[in-house]
Amino acid sequence: MRFNIEELEVLFPYPSIYPEQYAYMCDLKRTLDAGGHCVLEMPSGTGKTVSLLSLIVAYQQVQPEKRKLIYCSRTMSEIEKALAELKALMKYRTEQLGYEEEFRGLGLTSRKNLCLHPSVKREKSGSVVDARCRSLTAGFVKEKKERGEDVEMCVYHDNLDLLEPHNLIPPGVWTFDGLLKYGESQKQCPYFTARRMMPYCNVIIYSYHYLLDPKIAERVSRELSKDCIVVFDEAHNIDNVCIESLSIDLTEDSLRKATRGVNNLDRKITEMKSTDAEKLQSEYAKLVQGLQEADEARNEDAFMSNPALPDDLLKEAVPGNIRRAEHFVAFLKRFIEYLKTRMKVLHVISETPPSFLNHLRDLTFIERKPLRFCAERLTSLVRTLELTNIEDYQPLQEVATFATLIATYETGFLLILEPFESDTATVPNPILHFTCLDAAIAIKPVFERFSSVIITSGTMSPLDMYPKMLAFSTVIQQSYTMTLARKSFLPMIVPRGTDQSRITSAFQQRNDPSVIRNYGNLLTEFCKLTPDGIVVFFPSYLYMEGIISMWQGMGILDTVWKYKLILVETPDSQETALALETYRTACNNGRGAVLLCVARGKVSEGIDFDHHYGRTVLCIGVPFQYTESRILKARLEFLRETYRIKEQEFLSFDAMRHAAQCLGRVLRGKDDYGIMVMADRRFLSKRQQLPKWIQQALDDKYADLSVDQAVSAAKAFLREMSVPWSRVEQRGVSTWDAEDLAMHKAKQEEEMIRMLEEEAQNGGGMVEVDEYGGDDLDEVMADLDA
Amino acid sequence: MCPVCKSARYLNPDMRFLVNPECYHKMCESCVDRRFSQGPAACPIAGCKRTLRKARFRTQTFEDIKVEREVDLRREVASVFNREEDDFETLQDYNDYLEQVENVTWNLINDIDVEDTRRKMDAYKEENRRQITRNHSNAAQEAISRKAREEEDHELTRLRRADARREDELERQEKSDARKGIINKLATTKGDAASIAREGRRAELKKSSAQRVALDKKRDGDVFAAGTENGDAGSGFTFKGLKKRVAPPPEKPYDPYGGWSAEKEYFSQQDFYDWDYLSNARTDPRHSAGGYDINDYCARALCDAFSGFGVFIEDEVSGRDLGSTPSMATTAAAAVGGERVDAKMEDVF
Ligand code: SF4
Ligand SMILES: [Zn+2]
Ligand SMILES: [Zn+2]
Repeated sequence: MRFNIEELEVLFPYPSIYPEQYAYMCDLKRTLDAGGHCVLEMPSGTGKTVSLLSLIVAYQQVQPEKRKLIYCSRTMSEIEKALAELKALMKYRTEQLGYEEEFRGLGLTSRKNLCLHPSVKREKSGSVVDARCRSLTAGFVKEKKERGEDVEMCVYHDNLDLLEPHNLIPPGVWTFDGLLKYGESQKQCPYFTARRMMPYCNVIIYSYHYLLDPKIAERVSRELSKDCIVVFDEAHNIDNVCIESLSIDLTEDSLRKATRGVNNLDRKITEMKSTDAEKLQSEYAKLVQGLQEADEARNEDAFMSNPALPDDLLKEAVPGNIRRAEHFVAFLKRFIEYLKTRMKVLHVISETPPSFLNHLRDLTFIERKPLRFCAERLTSLVRTLELTNIEDYQPLQEVATFATLIATYETGFLLILEPFESDTATVPNPILHFTCLDAAIAIKPVFERFSSVIITSGTMSPLDMYPKMLAFSTVIQQSYTMTLARKSFLPMIVPRGTDQSRITSAFQQRNDPSVIRNYGNLLTEFCKLTPDGIVVFFPSYLYMEGIISMWQGMGILDTVWKYKLILVETPDSQETALALETYRTACNNGRGAVLLCVARGKVSEGIDFDHHYGRTVLCIGVPFQYTESRILKARLEFLRETYRIKEQEFLSFDAMRHAAQCLGRVLRGKDDYGIMVMADRRFLSKRQQLPKWIQQALDDKYADLSVDQAVSAAKAFLREMSVPWSRVEQRGVSTWDAEDLAMHKAKQEEEMIRMLEEEAQNGGGMVEVDEYGGDDLDEVMADLDA
Repeated sequence: MCPVCKSARYLNPDMRFLVNPECYHKMCESCVDRRFSQGPAACPIAGCKRTLRKARFRTQTFEDIKVEREVDLRREVASVFNREEDDFETLQDYNDYLEQVENVTWNLINDIDVEDTRRKMDAYKEENRRQITRNHSNAAQEAISRKAREEEDHELTRLRRADARREDELERQEKSDARKGIINKLATTKGDAASIAREGRRAELKKSSAQRVALDKKRDGDVFAAGTENGDAGSGFTFKGLKKRVAPPPEKPYDPYGGWSAEKEYFSQQDFYDWDYLSNARTDPRHSAGGYDINDYCARALCDAFSGFGVFIEDEVSGRDLGSTPSMATTAAAAVGGERVDAKMEDVF
């Protein structure tokens, strides 16, 4: 269907559109016009991706400067889905417009997924694939080949050089599958095709890390121009991604490996001195000038990563005392030895970067400045030495990254040394956590560089938390509700058991048998009444294990077994994948199954339980983080002091976003239906923190139920859902075709005129309607009810 | 295991190993006591003939004995070569310097030309004695101020944390009080329960937001107070970001005009002008109450009258050709000066 948003014609590849999609697109357009960032919360299963793509592509095509779209998503499957959507959209546009637009859309993923080399692609680990690929493609290997040495090279890579550099692949949208097929037929490497074509693409779809992880962003995304439109989809966890990308954990083992790496380097230098001293000398000469010169060759075969380097660092010359290769190696050795001594301490230490640097200098005479250059200097050295087995140097590189980070940032980081794994352990197994506390650091370059950044997800409430935590300002923050022709999901809060006693996963009452029995009861009852699949989320593995074994003792699992197959998520991803597959089979063949999983696990984040794969989701307990963790404590403190976010506020926000994620798993579209049960006393006070679309569907009468009440409500709901019902009834209410849309627009216009008239009469300015005005009050009320 | 007495750690878990920076041979504490209590003696390790003193034995900091030795040498080198970046004209010079120092260290560590290097080092030390001591004291000064800064930061954080805790506590208190209030009200008054509850909550909300504002204010005040207190604590001044090289010139009193002064060049003003027009204003409290000073008026009038003397006609004439339009004030001034009417005056204000 084709329609206009203001003056912009949008081609939407479906015959009808949801009202919230239309609203979403309008807001997107406003953001793009205004040139700024926005945070949008769109209910899951309402076609967020396709709305995004159709609007932005339409926008791109009419703009003369053709702003590039960078679409970032979280998982491989989401990226693939987006590519497929884009492909369908472009096909539709071609049909409608009657001609093919000049357009390129490509996705990028790791070498591991895109490699075609017969032996390399069989490697299991991504870093090994990267390293092996490098040994087959690096510049110096090619030089050697040209000199007539017998070295192996990758033909898929070489063939690329025979093509025109800006036209490695015909225009159009390429899914990963398509890219692989094309690569195979043309004998060209899909990975490098995508990498090299990035500057010529209209749309790039890849993972967050390519933009956020400074180590990767530096080499993949640095050429992207300022006017790109950046979208982070499924961004509810973006702050954690930011933090993880800058945090480093060092263990004794990794330090040992790093030492081995340094010693190897040392040996290589000695070797090279005797065979090819000239190379070292020329590196030295370049370093005298500065890193940038030394790095003009920094291109796609830059294989080692550097943490967020401020520009001035690149322009400045390398400090004299680490210019020579041997000096630098000794420097690294000293630094690693120092870290080793720090690891010997038997009590917990938390330290800020400046204090660490002072101590370091007092003990080893390592100054801050050369430390900052560590990562870059190492990269340069490894390149000069023409090392191919990069994976051996991984731990060393980690140490170098650590050095650079700690010398670069004074605040926003904390060093925590935990000598023992747990409080009860007696054998030390020290871990040095260098944790980033400030999510804004990693994402700052993105906001600074790109004029429009769109952050969107199904669950982002409360919206203003994100701008606060990530330190940016928005043009628009909006949360959309879901328009439904019939009530197709039933959220319920169940704070009481059948016996009216409170149920909660709070730490003090966790092991209370009555609570456990009530939870067991809840599970059995819902297993009885739910058709096909049911998903249960627990706050943590530990809790899940505990409760399962207690249920086993109480005979609850035996009862459940009669109705459903029981499957459990484990931290092992392969086992979990197997469990999921079995679960799906059981749902398909009518046996029905219950999947027990963890709110922060893999299942809760990436797996959809649409239709019969998930008819009920039980959230057992509020998924709070483990608050005794020192890292979390430090972060809470930081948030309070820097962004004035209170501990309780953040913890509850974090718990609720995960809960909302879990709940959203069962509802993946408008013709899907499902039951959402929040079984914890503490959900009562957190009702306002649910996403708007869930809140809106949460009827007051379902907001405080006991288990048996919930059961009867669920039964009634399912009966209602089983009434035959056709999509036609949605028309005009929850889906619009062109006519409905036109009507809506006319109405809007009328409204607008009326407002203007009123305003003229009143003679006053526009009355700001504050949608959230009531929130504060509600919150207090909810707290009071608790 | 101790290489001297061969006693092993598992027999004696408290055993400590010591090294002497003379030769870095490791031995246990009791061996050190036994052999060196009577004064300097030779190292008991076979093949090592060095004489060791007990006082210099110490525990090893680094696992790798080579690094231990390297750090000792570095300490020595660093005490001689302690120049800083500010001492150099360009960064390049500084980097070259760093590299040379590193070369010296490298030689000492790897026993290359030790004699020669040491001799050069000593010579350098002799030549630059004054510079070295100065840099040393600078470094010491810097360390002190750094420490003070750290302590200050620490104190501030502590205060902030205490505040936050207090704030939370207050809030909780408020909330429970308010709840009690509502319940009491519900118990004592007749009427619609819901409306009473709503009323109560609204009041509570208002109070808590007022409180927040108050606390914010208070906190800002506190921080400021703590900062100033610490600034002049103790005898040593701790200025942040002080340039350490040159002692700063004594600070002159602050001059808002940056050296520009309004000296009267062409006239001197009397204290009193006998002018009827003014006498009224001089005595009338309605003028003086507002801070109006008759002398200012006189000064301005005189200035208007005589400033024209500062005009150099030749310059003005050439300036005029560039097409300037005379303003009222300048015309008057020029007229007073008895010169050409259309001369242009630089407008000082
Ligand atoms: S160039 Fe491409 S095909 Fe060849 S090894 Fe690397 S990733 Fe694989
Ligand atoms: Zn001994
Ligand atoms: Zn000895």
